[in-house]
Amino acid sequence: MRKPITPMKPRVSQYGVDPKYVKKRMAEYPGMTSVMLKDLFPDTPDVIYPSEKGISAVREAARKALEKVDMSMIKPGDSVNVCASHHGFTLLGGEPYAELLKVVRDVITERTGTENIRLRAGVGLRFRETEEYIKAFGLDKHYKGKAKGVAPVDEGIPIETEIGTLYGIKAIYDADWIVHVHNSDVREVHFHRQVDRAVKPFGMSYARIETRSTYHQNLGPRGANFTARAIFASDFVQSKFAFTAFLEMSPVGVVSVDADNDLYALNDRLTVSGCKYYGKIMTLFGEIDECIVGLDFPCPVPYVFAAGVIYANFAGANVDLFDLDRPLPPYTWYTEAFYGKDGRPLIDNVPPVNPAIKMVVHNYAWGGYPSAFFSEHVPTIVVGREQADLLNRDPQNLDYMKHAVIADDLDTAMKYAYKVSGTDKVIIFDGAVGGVNVSESLAKLLQEKAPQVSEKVDKELLPKWLRQRGIDPETIK
Amino acid sequence: MRVVTMLAKVDEEKCIGCKICQKVCPPLAIEVVNKVSRVDAEKCRGCGNCNQRCPENAVTMVKRETPIRVYVDPATVSREKIEELCEKARMNPEQIVCYCTATRAEEVAAAIIKGADTPEKISLETGVRTGCKVECIQPVLRLLEAAGIEPERPEGYQWYGRTPTIWEIPEEVKQKYSQRGFYFDEDIKLLNEVAKLKAEKEAR
Ligand code: SF4
Ligand code: SF4
Repeated sequence: MRKPITPMKPRVSQYGVDPKYVKKRMAEYPGMTSVMLKDLFPDTPDVIYPSEKGISAVREAARKALEKVDMSMIKPGDSVNVCASHHGFTLLGGEPYAELLKVVRDVITERTGTENIRLRAGVGLRFRETEEYIKAFGLDKHYKGKAKGVAPVDEGIPIETEIGTLYGIKAIYDADWIVHVHNSDVREVHFHRQVDRAVKPFGMSYARIETRSTYHQNLGPRGANFTARAIFASDFVQSKFAFTAFLEMSPVGVVSVDADNDLYALNDRLTVSGCKYYGKIMTLFGEIDECIVGLDFPCPVPYVFAAGVIYANFAGANVDLFDLDRPLPPYTWYTEAFYGKDGRPLIDNVPPVNPAIKMVVHNYAWGGYPSAFFSEHVPTIVVGREQADLLNRDPQNLDYMKHAVIADDLDTAMKYAYKVSGTDKVIIFDGAVGGVNVSESLAKLLQEKAPQVSEKVDKELLPKWLRQRGIDPETIK
Repeated sequence: MRVVTMLAKVDEEKCIGCKICQKVCPPLAIEVVNKVSRVDAEKCRGCGNCNQRCPENAVTMVKRETPIRVYVDPATVSREKIEELCEKARMNPEQIVCYCTATRAEEVAAAIIKGADTPEKISLETGVRTGCKVECIQPVLRLLEAAGIEPERPEGYQWYGRTPTIWEIPEEVKQKYSQRGFYFDEDIKLLNEVAKLKAEKEAR
């Protein structure tokens, strides 16, 4: 059996406990091993990062991708907002995304002569998160002091769209030109359903609360991401949009850098690669019959990663989240809203949270995202009183600890989890790169099931997913 | 329902009186007087917006000695009226509208029926919009609109306006994007089913 992969390090942040309280990682617990994605699925793509070349591989790929982009609309002296989101900084430690943001600035200056380039980095629900990343990666220096985090409660501007007025963050659009720098990691498939994935930040991290509330309350589980399309397609945004640059991601790392003046063209390419690269591992996770889940990554509960899949998607892995014929994922805010006071769904056919998850060991995960749904639906044990206190202070997690128990240390938590759950299968969401840290018993199951999952995705599921998104599967052969 | 355990505290030495905290406070608990931010402890709902947006990092969140519980009990107003309002807003009275506080549509409806006529008053009385401060403004505005109320915007950036719902998407827009994975009509069906009170619940 392979040794566990070194998990992603805890990060100093106001949204998580001080790393000194993370005394032991789940991967260090006896009986843990790892499985590499390449061994499960031999067609896993090669990556440029992580690789022997280090971060220079991202730099080179970014420069190359930007060569084919037209920047002639930007004149010397024009102002340019390079728009970023927190999400990219959670991938592979954040360095590849930070590097892409640096290269984008350098190339714009070289090609256009303008120096008035600002970094505007949007957030999820932790309003100072990108401020922390800007400092940690030296982006304030690289952008010559013109880098700031923006939040959905900041001053807004109305944007007229083909469905009516929506609202953006003023600071995102206060330049002559905007450049959209993001990544293709599928992340919240439960929300966007891999429809217009590349456009999403226009309805989310670049948007005001009114728009984000539209996404999560006014449109429905398969129409939600249209808010992003509506804003991006508006005359206002089109008049400012210069180009886009993306880290093309797979569950094992950065595959390439893609850039384009046409966001829709790039979006179509990434729709295909997202379904292809992430579809197999997500389907394989759906085959897990029973397990203990370990949360052990510097992110809020739903966003911790295992093999490129976030926990929120594992909580819904009993359902094919890419399949648009299924209206409701087991977890999405629409689903959460539809549970009545008696704890039962208000309508029939609401899929339950993945019944394979017998217990969650919350060894290290942040607050800053409404996560009570998870502890309400799955028995949860939180390691350390400091984390419990952090969650209790968090206005977004008023009820999380109402449903969770506290263990003094990881060993106590694991012993309890094994005893109560009756399973020895463990999957750890700790951001391990290239594979996934699991117990030996779960490693065996994944290895056994992978070949048939691979065939099913290739022959049956991927063609269906693509057709549902208006893409002819024949064109990608 | 919201139990408020935290309170915003301003460091007057650090405060420069820029008023950003005042402009983002959902229940209007902050006023900048003589260039210093003042928090009304009775009104503060512990949401942390001021703490998260103050450019000088002048606001810290401290634990309250005695927590405040805010709740408008739906049982104290006519059930019929609550259901009427929710139906107009196309919501099920029991559906959750604020994920952080687990506040349901019926509580917001009850607050409106009892006289809360702005999102600010609704936040003060129910605690909605004091968790993540992002996701729940639309249901609040939809329920106010259903009650025939057009609230006046506060001076800050607390909110700008109601936005479109799926029922209002023009037919030609639906047509245009129907091949791209947006399932509007199917989602309308689903949301209508949720809004309609479940037959057996009606019977109860
Ligand atoms: S945002 Fe900060 S500096 Fe500005 S008025 Fe409020 S407390 Fe003072
Ligand atoms: S309600 Fe929120 S924004 Fe207002 S004073 Fe309290 S913590 Fe600050």
